[in-house]
Amino acid sequence: MSVDLRDVGVSLDGQRVLHAISASLTEPRIGIVGRNGSGKSTLARVIAGLIEPDQGQARIGGQDMARDRRAALAAVGIIFQNPDHQIIFPTVIEEIAFGLTQQGLGRDEAQNAARAILARFGKAHWEAAATYALSQGQKQLLCLMTVLAMRPRTIVMDEPFSGLDIPTRMQIARHLSCIDAQLVLITHDPEQVRGFDRILWLDGGRLVADGPPDAVLPAFRQRMEDWGNGDDLAHLAG
Amino acid sequence: MISLTSPVETWAHRLPAGIKLAALSGLTVTLFLTDRPGALGAALLAVFGLYLSGGPVFLRQGLRHLRMLWPFLLLIALWHGATGQWQAGLVIALRLLTALALANVVTMTSRLTDMIAVLTCLLAPLRGMGLQTRAVELAIAMVLRFTPMLTENGRRLAMSWRARSPRRPSWRIVMPMVALALDDADHVAEALRARGGILNDRDAGKD
Repeated sequence: MSVDLRDVGVSLDGQRVLHAISASLTEPRIGIVGRNGSGKSTLARVIAGLIEPDQGQARIGGQDMARDRRAALAAVGIIFQNPDHQIIFPTVIEEIAFGLTQQGLGRDEAQNAARAILARFGKAHWEAAATYALSQGQKQLLCLMTVLAMRPRTIVMDEPFSGLDIPTRMQIARHLSCIDAQLVLITHDPEQVRGFDRILWLDGGRLVADGPPDAVLPAFRQRMEDWGNGDDLAHLAG
Repeated sequence: MISLTSPVETWAHRLPAGIKLAALSGLTVTLFLTDRPGALGAALLAVFGLYLSGGPVFLRQGLRHLRMLWPFLLLIALWHGATGQWQAGLVIALRLLTALALANVVTMTSRLTDMIAVLTCLLAPLRGMGLQTRAVELAIAMVLRFTPMLTENGRRLAMSWRARSPRRPSWRIVMPMVALALDDADHVAEALRARGGILNDRDAGKD
């Protein structure tokens, strides 16, 4: 399974957000790093087929995720930064079962599969819990279980750890490390992708580096620290 | 939390929601067949018995849900007291209380998913005519999911206002609340799309 990006360009509200991004991602663990506003989240949505690029092509396994949403359901799952933007249903079991019925499972099959994933994570007792009442970390874990239940071959995560405390982050990271699917993790923090197979560095919507973590992350960290010592918050976009 | 389903498992939880809803419709119609206060009083006692059979916690929770009815009962009493139609007032009040208490038992003992499943069943003829009904089911679930979130948005804005103003939050937080709600709607639309959006036709038969 590979994520193929060919000359991907995206404009949002007249602003160029991504410029000619090309990469063929076949490694199991991919990190995409960059600053706020570098286009990382847009790229995550392009990979998941939620945004159709206005230039170039984005495909997974040869299929266009933005055009063929049914194929996309089997191929790719996405976890947003804020779980409150992702959870659609009032109870845990409904939230997990929804994606499965979308994939064509019957109501009972979907419920059983949802229970199975809850049991796999040792959270069988969450079944009837109100999603609204979950803690932030619990919500993020629910989003992960929801996506995993659908068995996508690629999972895109957009800053999944922001706002989580250290123990919660470690627990979620532990769950992530045992996932079979290809993982594309978007982050501003180089620490979170240190053990990954390949790192893409985005800046100003362009791919500025692409390679193994040892080759990309030290330079990335150095650049971030250099900028951190300056005052580029002064610049207004647009 | 907005769910009205009682966490106390009673025997009525195990009955299919469809049967409970059908019984509720039938019994409510029956309540209109008599004008004798004695018969309606007996019906109310029988419904009270249903609450009792669920145990003390269930009974207390049920009565709490019904407490919001008292302004309506008071209004009926005042009106019929003023017009001197005591018996008619009593009949209406008993009927109202019995019907709503019964409906409340059904609400408290049925899971939302089961209620939606019944609705899906009832909407089947519309699906036969080629109309999309999945959206209706989704909409109900989403109202339940997002009502607490909208309330929370309002609370957050009010708090942010109070942090910078000695006065109480005014109508001026209404627009930001609307803007936040629209923004949330965008995010949810994206989340729905990420999981296939409203894919109706091919799966409809499996529901």
